[in-house]
Amino acid sequence: MAAIRTLALVIRSVDVFETSRVLTLYTRELGKVSALAKGARRLKSPFQSGLDLLSVCDIVLLHKASEALDLLTEAVLAERYEALTHDTAALYGGCYVAELLDALTDRHDPHPRLFDASRVTLRHLGDPVSRPSRILRFELACLRELGLMPALDTCVHCGQPPSPTEGDRVAFGLATGGVLCPGCRPGQPHVATLSGDTLEAIRALASPGDAWKATWGDPETLGPVRSTVGAVISHLIGRRPRLLPFV
Amino acid sequence: MSALPGGPPPSPTASGTVDRLVRALGRLPGIGAKSAERLAHHLLRCPVEEAIELAEAVRAARDQIRHCEVCAHLTESGQARCAICRDPRRDRSVICVVEQSRDLMALENAGSFGGTYHVLLGRLSPLQGVFEDQLNLKSLEERVQGGEVREVILATNPTLEGDATARLVADRLAPLGVAITRLARGLASGGSLEFANKEMLADALQGRQRL
Repeated sequence: MAAIRTLALVIRSVDVFETSRVLTLYTRELGKVSALAKGARRLKSPFQSGLDLLSVCDIVLLHKASEALDLLTEAVLAERYEALTHDTAALYGGCYVAELLDALTDRHDPHPRLFDASRVTLRHLGDPVSRPSRILRFELACLRELGLMPALDTCVHCGQPPSPTEGDRVAFGLATGGVLCPGCRPGQPHVATLSGDTLEAIRALASPGDAWKATWGDPETLGPVRSTVGAVISHLIGRRPRLLPFV
Repeated sequence: MSALPGGPPPSPTASGTVDRLVRALGRLPGIGAKSAERLAHHLLRCPVEEAIELAEAVRAARDQIRHCEVCAHLTESGQARCAICRDPRRDRSVICVVEQSRDLMALENAGSFGGTYHVLLGRLSPLQGVFEDQLNLKSLEERVQGGEVREVILATNPTLEGDATARLVADRLAPLGVAITRLARGLASGGSLEFANKEMLADALQGRQRL
């Protein structure tokens, strides 16, 4: 049983027994893990009250080789996001981040860049202007890191550039995972049509750099992007995320 | 019951009644499958009167315990109001808001509060599907609107969800012009600065008081 030290974001916490907790942690080095924190609810626990939901902790974990829960032996608070306690909309955004990390990632499948993206997103959720764009950017980062990013530039089936139909609108297969050319579209399930502006906004939100900031405070552009990305994620996890209507 | 020809022998534990008991116990919070089995077998081994007493106690509690019409604390079914709300010695101008009745009991056991309470019947917990419309907030607003209340003390837990719930309650009550306070946090009495963590120290510094 090896002791591993890593940074972890608490994405789920369930009280068990008298004073213990079972935590779902999204860690930087190990990916998603479930761990038992014995005595975590006691005031004088070795975890120093650091294991609160949506806080980042520096933890030491005894990793079990079997299916049994890992054992948390130490946790020191590294970062707490005050905005989440002051603003209900920010709290819902933070919980949505946690819900996606729990639903989309597999156990013991680390993605350090996704962990870092989660922290950056949580850090800035207090700003109501950039919040909708930040959450969308996080969702797209999630899809890209996990290899689930929809194809935006070429037809997901044939690889040809999708020539727009009906003005600048392009077919987008929610189930097939990307844009579809007119030749491949027939017979595909769950197809939406996106305007050129919507597709461009998704590209900007998914790209590095500052181009995505042009979407801040622009509900007209973000509305269709929200619907499309939400539908892709709902399709991938097989249900609508509980917090999706609130972000 | 005999095994079907060619089929597997029946499990020695196969019993619909025992399985039902294990499933029922397994639905209790903090009880996993193994613990449920252990409890079920304990109930089957212990004296019959002991097991029946437990069953009767559960039935009586479910049948006879209600929520107080004022504060939503637990009360006997014959009483519309709980013992605290009925007590004329309690100061009705101060309401202490807690997440659940267990928190109220902890405060009552401390014996240092003479006001009344209001139980929210939960806390804002979006990941568990608990949103603000599921909290007992409307009756709190009505109590404050009654005009008798001068202070509301928010005694939700010092966690992300507890703090967010406190903020939500404060925002809802703010237009009513009542004083809203939050329980202090930081160093515990009898503790030592040397062993306090940085969160405790930050809270204690933030909540310092003039002497």
